[in-house]
Amino acid sequence: MAAIDQTPEGGAGRAPTTRFSVTQDQRRILYAIAAAIVLFAAGGLIRPGFASLKSVEAVLTVACFVGIVAAGQTFVILIGGIDLSVPWTLNAGAILMMSSAASSNARMPLALALTLGMGAVVGLCNGIGIAMFGVPAVVMTLAMNGMLEGLTLGLSGGLTCPTCAAYAPSVLQAVAHGSVLGVPAILWLWLAIILVATFVLSFTIFGRATYAIGNNSRASFLAGINVTRTTIILYVLSGTFSSLAGIMLLGFGGQASLGIGDPYLFQSIAAAVIGGVYIAGGRGHYIGAVAGAVSLVALVSVLMALNMPEYGRSITYGVIILLLLLLYGRESSEG
Amino acid sequence: MSNAAVAARRNRWSHGLGQNAGFALALVLLAASIVVYCAIYFIAQRRLPGGFELTTTVNNTMPLVFAGVGQAIVVITRGIDLSIGGVIDLTNAIAALYLGDSLLSMAGCSLLVLLVGAACGLFNGLLVTYGRVQPILVTLATLAIFQGLAIRVLPSPGGQVPSEFTAVFANIEAPWSLVYIAIVIGFWFCFRRTSLGVGLYAIGNDELAAQAHAVNVIRTRVAAYVLSGVFAAVAGLFMAASSTSGDALTGNGYTLRSIVAVVLGGVNLFGGRGTPVGAIVGAFISVMIVNILFFAQIDPLYQSFFEGLFLVVAVLASGGVGHFIRARA
Repeated sequence: MAAIDQTPEGGAGRAPTTRFSVTQDQRRILYAIAAAIVLFAAGGLIRPGFASLKSVEAVLTVACFVGIVAAGQTFVILIGGIDLSVPWTLNAGAILMMSSAASSNARMPLALALTLGMGAVVGLCNGIGIAMFGVPAVVMTLAMNGMLEGLTLGLSGGLTCPTCAAYAPSVLQAVAHGSVLGVPAILWLWLAIILVATFVLSFTIFGRATYAIGNNSRASFLAGINVTRTTIILYVLSGTFSSLAGIMLLGFGGQASLGIGDPYLFQSIAAAVIGGVYIAGGRGHYIGAVAGAVSLVALVSVLMALNMPEYGRSITYGVIILLLLLLYGRESSEG
Repeated sequence: MSNAAVAARRNRWSHGLGQNAGFALALVLLAASIVVYCAIYFIAQRRLPGGFELTTTVNNTMPLVFAGVGQAIVVITRGIDLSIGGVIDLTNAIAALYLGDSLLSMAGCSLLVLLVGAACGLFNGLLVTYGRVQPILVTLATLAIFQGLAIRVLPSPGGQVPSEFTAVFANIEAPWSLVYIAIVIGFWFCFRRTSLGVGLYAIGNDELAAQAHAVNVIRTRVAAYVLSGVFAAVAGLFMAASSTSGDALTGNGYTLRSIVAVVLGGVNLFGGRGTPVGAIVGAFISVMIVNILFFAQIDPLYQSFFEGLFLVVAVLASGGVGHFIRARA
């Protein structure tokens, strides 16, 4: 943590300073990575073996789920939105995947398409409500979360439907637990998502448009950017990523249950913000959210290694996130 | 401002309706939901709902009324308070654990609970103003802290609330709780006219302009969060009174439900428009929806689906109606 105070806060914003040749945004990403390293080191001191390769791998695997949800969350936060429909999109995705595949590998491709499609449709509804009907993002996605909760519970009869007792297809479980070249397969998937998301945000017209809308949506509109279409696509991506995380959680855990999505709302927002994604939009990178997800999960693991009871974990978690926010999540004082 | 003044002279009533379209629509929705409720109740029970139904509905709504009022005050300043659920958890736990049988103990403990709520709000307010962190992030983090503290205070559901306390705050014989709603509305009509109350709207509409007009932005903003904390504490007290015990998880749903009440009540989430009275109406609407679904014999598992659907429809309708009236005026 002490390392964080070394660089002076420049009010210059995004302009690269010649002295450090890192922008403020890049510095925030470095802070998040530093926080993760410090946490692993602290964990290693508390419990020998915490910083071992095996345990780092376990932390990264858990962080992977947060990170994938955080990808979608980062996209919509970049345009000044937010996706509160994450918990039940994820949960509905896991349950839909489980019950439509019905333990059968042969049905898996269809179930996969159905589940990802469900996530995309959820995002599409969010995007249309927000971009075309002007419903505030908080209200639209909050209501969507409620609707999905009701539909999931109602259609599955409170998870008592005949196919609700099914297991994840064995192929999916094998993929979720398997490893390629000594690294878990889901980490490879995450790496692919990181590369694609970073490429799209930094080097494509679509990425430029995303940042432009986040900085000033009216100016972007006047500059000829199709704000409505971009907004809708970003929410579709967020919904798809949530359902993908649901599928992977299902593969990892073997069965889906009610409420598995609940922790991911708080964690995905926190990961993005810790990683330097500005909550009002227009600033930040997915790679920061990745670092944020890893430090969050590392923090939880350290607290568990300390044998801290649940209430203590909750309090410490909140306090540390507040401290991180106070260190670098602050708005400029001229506001 | 001058545009508003001109429009007001041209057609005061129409302009007022345009400005308060959200609140007007909330009243219409409440009336409609009461009519539908009575009709469905009559079909199911072959008689109209009476005093018992009124009393239970009012008692059920009270915690949401207070949570909604607190949320509305913060939302008017263009903020949001996600920690309301945590404050309710904490205050509910404290109330259930420490409320004694004597009058002195009840009064003292209630005061303590209100102070705890105020302290939680003060913490939020200071972090938002002096810490310069976005309200949504501050209150998301303090939500985790308050929830943790609540579980520390009351690890498992329990505690006891004296029956006299229940009789005062959640009387099951008659809807006495309506008196508290009247008190809150009275408080708001006085508070609205103080410099602090005007300041809430001023910073919600334009913080820089408010500052230029000598509104103490920091003091006003902190006051909004403190009030939100106090109202959440009152909600926690009411929940303790009506359930006669405590549960450190009982308030968790109230963060989202308070936002729903605020939105249904026509308070603009971007600040500066709407009133906590609207949030009271919104609270009653959302409870009436649950009642209607119950008597319409809709599977309770679908409940949140209809609540979500209704929320979107209400927001779309209030936006549409407000736009229509303003366009004509």
